[in-house]
Amino acid sequence: MRQPLLEIQNLNVGFETNRGLVQPVRDVSINVYPGQTMAIVGESGCGKSVTAMSILQLLPTPPAQYLGGKIVFDGRDLLKLNERQMRGVRGKDIAMIFQEPMTSLNPVYTIGDQIMEAVTLHQNVRGKQAWEIAEQSLREVGIADPKRRLESYPHELSGGMRQRVMIAMALSCKPKLLIADEPTTALDVTIQAQILELLRKLQAETGMAIILITHDLGVVAENADVVSVMYASRIVECATVEELFDHPRHPYTEALFKSVPQLGNDSHRLATISGSVPNPAKFPPGCKFHTRCPRTRELAQKSGDAVEIVSDGERFKVLHACVADEPATNEVTRNHWAACHQLPEYAGSQPTIPRLDYKRQVVTTTTDLQSTLRSQEFGK
Amino acid sequence: MTADVANPEPMTPYVGEAERPRRTFAQQALVDTFSRRGASIGLAWIGVIAFCAVFAPFLANSHPYLLKRDGNYEFPLFRHLTPPDLIALASALLIGIAALLRRRSAMVRLIVIAGGLAILSPLAMLKSTPEAVGYSVYREDEAAGLVSSVIRAPVPYSPSDRLRDISGRAESRPPSAQHWMGTTPNREDVFGRMIHACRIAILIGFISTGIAVVIGCIIGGLMGYFAGWVDIAGMRVIEIFEAIPTLFLLITFVAFYGRDLYMMMAIIGATTWPSDARFIRAQFLQLRKQDFVLAAIAAGLPLRSILFRHMLPNGIAPVLVTASFGVASAILAEATLSFLGLGLIDKASWGLMLNQARGVGTSFSWWLAVFPGGAIFLTVFAYNLIGEAFRDALDPKLRKRD
Repeated sequence: MRQPLLEIQNLNVGFETNRGLVQPVRDVSINVYPGQTMAIVGESGCGKSVTAMSILQLLPTPPAQYLGGKIVFDGRDLLKLNERQMRGVRGKDIAMIFQEPMTSLNPVYTIGDQIMEAVTLHQNVRGKQAWEIAEQSLREVGIADPKRRLESYPHELSGGMRQRVMIAMALSCKPKLLIADEPTTALDVTIQAQILELLRKLQAETGMAIILITHDLGVVAENADVVSVMYASRIVECATVEELFDHPRHPYTEALFKSVPQLGNDSHRLATISGSVPNPAKFPPGCKFHTRCPRTRELAQKSGDAVEIVSDGERFKVLHACVADEPATNEVTRNHWAACHQLPEYAGSQPTIPRLDYKRQVVTTTTDLQSTLRSQEFGK
Repeated sequence: MTADVANPEPMTPYVGEAERPRRTFAQQALVDTFSRRGASIGLAWIGVIAFCAVFAPFLANSHPYLLKRDGNYEFPLFRHLTPPDLIALASALLIGIAALLRRRSAMVRLIVIAGGLAILSPLAMLKSTPEAVGYSVYREDEAAGLVSSVIRAPVPYSPSDRLRDISGRAESRPPSAQHWMGTTPNREDVFGRMIHACRIAILIGFISTGIAVVIGCIIGGLMGYFAGWVDIAGMRVIEIFEAIPTLFLLITFVAFYGRDLYMMMAIIGATTWPSDARFIRAQFLQLRKQDFVLAAIAAGLPLRSILFRHMLPNGIAPVLVTASFGVASAILAEATLSFLGLGLIDKASWGLMLNQARGVGTSFSWWLAVFPGGAIFLTVFAYNLIGEAFRDALDPKLRKRD
């Protein structure tokens, strides 16, 4: 069995606020294998970005605190490294791209200057050689006329181009892991597709692992090998992408899929998840999803072991177990982890750390691509 | 899915953008600043002052450029050039070269200037000047008919030329055909002194403000970047320094350590940095949350680079505005000190002449008040005009749409 490239084990992150300690990441365990794309899916505020920032220790401490757990990358616990050692990891071994390409580039320097700085820092090259690496990395991300673009300022580029530049910059030092924090959220749909396609192509070429943070299930379906679903600071489900899409087990994942609009579906209204995301300062006791969970509500109708709760001004019954006890992320079926009391397999299963060395079969779309290109040529 | 990554369509910027000349934010801000009338007038005046400062010995000098005596040509003016004169010329030359390096970064230009000065200054120091300076010898020789031809500087009087060849009482004289702006009580030509005084005005303005900006950027930058207790501690230091009155400190130091121009610059710089630090701190507090700073940290860049390469150029603008006001107030501080009789005595200074205007008893020489006073007024006014235009140019709400 292969060693994971990145092992996050029971990571706990807290923020010191004037209302006390808020903990947006609890007992999060994620394993990423070389060459794999791990998607972390969840609503805003579920802790997915904080998890990602923790890997590179980008959270300012204070107010942030690492309350426990390990982040082992290539055999080293990143949480034990000092700032200086961490700087050697950032950009070189693990690179990160951010949500907003419009503001992620420094407005006062040219694209070339900014790529060059990272290249000279991490690759021990200077001058002309570094310039050539920068040019090459721009060419790799599909920017036309890279020589001229190196001398452009960020404001001269469109959003999609800037995200390409960000990717070029992140990949110029050949990192082993790329953390993409909602890389396409700020882009329009056609550019989104191009950027994701680009990431896939570059991953195939370099063999790097990607952590893809997103709230877009379409992006997950297209790109991920393994998916971790986060809800209110915890991983509630983890499985391979096919398994998750075919057999979602956690009620939150199920509800997420229901809320995606489907083509050809004639329903009048889109299904939503009732209630709202709990505030990290006041998470509900027990399973954090019980206030919004359709499954526990339904089961509580028939069960004698139910309690009445009030959530968002609504009074309803839920199962006692959901309120009393927080479920662990158990391996409910082989290679499928979920944290829900009400799964029939939950009681007999063990809480283990999800490890899935899985890479999905690449679907070659060469014929599609050629026909697309041909139709474009005819269009002209 | 449109998968045209391998063969992307050429992405051209919007048509309008391609046609406009490409300018960085800083260049655009400068263009915006100096396209305002006030600022361009201000800049023109500062240009005149700077020109006078650099070429002072060529504009006002008792030694002629060229002299023919006994059939031999002599170049007394060049023989009498002092090392500081040469350094001033070298700096002007280097700044000119740096300005011509259009495609290089600001860092390269700074290195050209600093490196050039480091090489040329010691060379300039090697230049020897005649020990005994007789300002009147050439005039006397000319009067005696020993000189067949002569080319003089536009103002043929050095700032310390006390006209020893002319008999009469030492007193200040009003403007005349020989002395266009009159003379000082020591019989020095006011016009010549005015020109040479530009040097002190430029030097004290830029160096003391430069010191203040450097200290302010470092302290303010660290405060803004780290925030928290660093910020709280830094703020107390700023408050302590803000409580020190510049002028009284200057007077105290002059009383104890004598009249030294460089000490004055250091004191003015060391007491005026708090406002720069406050501005930089505010900017950095805002910038540290920006994505590009986070991206720079995520790229593993060292703190030095994040602070001074990535954050500073984005936050320096308001400091440059206050700096132009700071230059004006530094000039005023020096003039005030000289007016109080505590300034430099061996060098020509506008403030010193103002002091001399108030003569013995009730006598008052108006020419010694009007010309230097006017120069101080115009210079301070020019810096304020530039500062104000700069502030407007950097304010996105007031920015002109072109």
